[in-house]
Amino acid sequence: MTVSVESRASKQAKKVALWLATFLLMLVMCVPGLWVVLSAFRPNREILAKPPVWVPEELSLVNFGKIFGFGAEQVGIPVGSYFTNSLIIALTSTVIALIIGVAGGYSFARYRFRFKGGIFLGLMLFRAVPGIALSLPVFMMWSRLGLVDTKLGLIIVYVSLNVPFTIWLIDGFFRQIPQALSEAAQVDGCTRWQAFWKIEFPLAKSGIAAAGVFAFLTSWNEFALASQLTRSTDSKTLPVGLLDFTAQFTIDWAGMCAMAVIIIIPALILTFIVQKHLIAGLTFGGVKG
Amino acid sequence: MKLKATLVLGTALVALALPATAQDYGTFDGYTLRVKLIGGAQYEPLYAEIPKWEAATGAKVEIVSSKNHFELDKEIKQDIAAGTLDWCVGSNHTSFAPQYGDIYIDLNGVIAPEVIADFVPLAISQSTVNDRLVQLPRHSDVSNLFYQKSLYEDEANKTGFKEKYGYDLAPPETWNQVKDQAIFFSNPPDFYGFQFVGKDEAVNGRFYEMLVANGGAMFDENWNPTFNSAAGVEALQFFVDLYEAKAVPVGVPNYTWDDTGLGFASGSIALNLDWGGWSTFFNDPANSKVAGNVGLVRAPMGSGGKRTGWSGSHSFSITEGCDNKEAAASFLTFLTSYDNQMVEARKGLLPTRTQVWVDAIAEFEGAGNAFSAEVMKTFQTSMAEDAFTPPLIPEWIEVSNVMWPKLQAAIVGDMTAQEALDAAQAEAAVIMSDAGYN
Amino acid sequence: MIRALTTRRTEMAPFLLLLPAIATMLFVVALPLVFSLWTSLTPYKLTKPDTLYDFIWFRNYIRIFADWDFWEAFLRTIAFLTVAINLEFALGLGIALLINKITWGQRGLRTIMMFPMMFSPILVGFQFKFLFNDHIGVVNNALQSLGLTDQAIPWLVDANLAMFSITLAEVWMSTSVFAILLLAGLFAMPRDPLEAARVDGCNPWQVFRHITLPFLMPFAYIAMAIRSLDVARAYDLVAVMTDGGPAGRTELLWTLIARTGYDEAKMGQANAMAYISTILSVLFTWHFYRKLVAARRYMGGAE
Repeated sequence: MTVSVESRASKQAKKVALWLATFLLMLVMCVPGLWVVLSAFRPNREILAKPPVWVPEELSLVNFGKIFGFGAEQVGIPVGSYFTNSLIIALTSTVIALIIGVAGGYSFARYRFRFKGGIFLGLMLFRAVPGIALSLPVFMMWSRLGLVDTKLGLIIVYVSLNVPFTIWLIDGFFRQIPQALSEAAQVDGCTRWQAFWKIEFPLAKSGIAAAGVFAFLTSWNEFALASQLTRSTDSKTLPVGLLDFTAQFTIDWAGMCAMAVIIIIPALILTFIVQKHLIAGLTFGGVKG
Repeated sequence: MKLKATLVLGTALVALALPATAQDYGTFDGYTLRVKLIGGAQYEPLYAEIPKWEAATGAKVEIVSSKNHFELDKEIKQDIAAGTLDWCVGSNHTSFAPQYGDIYIDLNGVIAPEVIADFVPLAISQSTVNDRLVQLPRHSDVSNLFYQKSLYEDEANKTGFKEKYGYDLAPPETWNQVKDQAIFFSNPPDFYGFQFVGKDEAVNGRFYEMLVANGGAMFDENWNPTFNSAAGVEALQFFVDLYEAKAVPVGVPNYTWDDTGLGFASGSIALNLDWGGWSTFFNDPANSKVAGNVGLVRAPMGSGGKRTGWSGSHSFSITEGCDNKEAAASFLTFLTSYDNQMVEARKGLLPTRTQVWVDAIAEFEGAGNAFSAEVMKTFQTSMAEDAFTPPLIPEWIEVSNVMWPKLQAAIVGDMTAQEALDAAQAEAAVIMSDAGYN
Repeated sequence: MIRALTTRRTEMAPFLLLLPAIATMLFVVALPLVFSLWTSLTPYKLTKPDTLYDFIWFRNYIRIFADWDFWEAFLRTIAFLTVAINLEFALGLGIALLINKITWGQRGLRTIMMFPMMFSPILVGFQFKFLFNDHIGVVNNALQSLGLTDQAIPWLVDANLAMFSITLAEVWMSTSVFAILLLAGLFAMPRDPLEAARVDGCNPWQVFRHITLPFLMPFAYIAMAIRSLDVARAYDLVAVMTDGGPAGRTELLWTLIARTGYDEAKMGQANAMAYISTILSVLFTWHFYRKLVAARRYMGGAE
């Protein structure tokens, strides 16, 4: 650090001002989302009003109560099964995508083989195929295989959504770990597998965590394919469940917002917990070819 | 062969049903009936009754899918494509039914005739495609005109309106009056006299009913599209005029039902042509600012002296491949039974059984719920006298999809009404001729 | 046992390790693509399964190529992607630079920064549809309350505003992805060149322009490549917000495909369009990937 002429106090003040400015900017950026969160606690009458009601006159948990079927109005959306389905599907597909991705990334980072660049690019480009182009053919295949409306069916799809990015990130990450480390371990009598598992894998933890967060968020929030491939409480996920608040001619927007909060909170907590690894993971991964 | 089977089955059912009471749904011990039901908060109370049928028959009901209307439509098309119609009973809708070809059986003969006789005749005829009763109506939908009562009681409004238009201010009887009043009440951007749904099949439905109310028709007897007639131009011009006069919110070309319903509930719309399903919402203080101030009249008349009455019914159908049509028929009869329609009517859905209309109204009146009784009565009249469906042909949605962007083009001023309808007519004619109509 | 396996696998090892990844992609993407290629050469209608076996060569393609509505949607999709991705990059860069300067409580701020990533696209669609409602929406209500306008602004109807609103929703949803990746890039940045440049008397802009930005570009291209993998996700929110309307003013390839394929059940024709949309997405990704490789080479040379 260069020594500054500024006094400590004024430097401190500048820091605080910068922090506040950044915080406010983030807040402004979040406003469209915060509006949804706030709406979850307000009655429909107040949310979309003319003239507008800026200061909430009443905040309550009524909308949440309705979802869970408490109180007078037994809406009873099976949010419990949606939540469980979402959790199982998102977690399992993330773990599988990570395993496949670590294997693939390691292969790209540590081996020389024919068609390497081609295979890498091919994997990425396959990911670029829009879901809308895939939805019907995937459905037809899945229905032949009995995978429609099963958690497994959705897990397989989400694994394929997440594998390319995971490989990309992890490939970059492994390249940053000097090959000499694992070679030294192998000289000391470790097998290649042991060297990987004891030395390289722990070092790659951040990269894997970062890839994991992205994979989890993708699966947790995915709607288009889930709405095609799920049908009943056996496999319907939370984003698909949002549509339970719409009927042919009506919508319960406040209820939908309450459900949205239920979707957002776990994702937010996870992101916060993994935050430390996230940046480190993205830093090493990816850039250096 | 098939006919014979149906007849035998039908006779068996009748024989089974005749000596028993209305509560006898037969016995299907150990059978699991796979069903696809339309999901959503409004529809769940009926499904809470299903255990009663299970207890009565010994069968189990497995809900293999529960989705909203449009998602379910997609899903059924996927099932047709993939050949996975491996379920027995599905939610259906009169507007969608013609597209599905013959995947659903004719219920005549499967459902006891005396059961069918208890339904509103119009609802049954609207459920019939090519002389086949492909669905049993669960509840009906038609739009009527909601309005804010206080506006019509206000003395200043009364005198002001009379001065300007030369007749008394009262809830409108004709669409021309709606136009006058909408313009009179509007004070953009804070208050609007009217609103309409402006996109998708919704705007097309609104145009279509206005066309019919003005004495026009979608197709002639040879299925040539004729909606670009003078009656059609007049119908479309109605929406164009209101939009240009700023008597409707400027965003209406992007409105669907959720926007119009929430708009009226916000208390800043005078008149709102909307579905019966919204009435409870409008009169609920937690959801709506106009609660206690909601009036309702029958949908007004067009220039042809006919009232608008675009209508449809939610319904249930039985698949052709169903392995136990008897159980399926019993289940349909149960879902649309008197008791269950009363359950749904209490929640504000419009019944399809004649007796339920009468008794639900009596029940609301007995409970001192004047608003709900009034709503029911108004909708009863319009369901019996004004309701009509879109043409029940498989090509309807496709024709609709070439029409509505053109309707929007006229509303936002990109084309004149005549140009827009001519362009849509040309495209619709191609679809109809591709489909082999003429 | 592991040792034995290892020796036997040495030759095949990289392929074996890649096998699950390749198998997944072939199974979930390549196979369905073959099927949809076939359907695009038939007059396949969902509700008439037999039409799957009528081969009509390229009639679907010829039909859509002759359709001006299709080309309009095609060009609009390209414009939408270009504008959205560049805006997301610019905003993401700004946010990343700002957060990079923060030393205290950064973990919390970063989580807040990623807040929009928690929103499912379908939810974002509803959210912005109601925010932008001309009559009871929060945006117009706020503008009117603040006295900035006495009009109801038709956010989702006006030809230019409607595209703007959709782009804004998309940018809101996805800027975080750029911000987090660019922030990672800033963290990885070596300090020495920056210090050296300052000592040499470069002003902050020069430092940014000639040192920070080139270093960040690979990160930017990674972000763009990753985003372009996933752009079709915007379909969910456009479908809810405008569904291509009014009067086709916001029609994108994806809304057109969904309507043709499902509402009208004309899957053959829809898949022909979907194929073109696939090629478009692939080209976008490929373009950014090439840029990434070039930027890496440039960095390699500079080091």
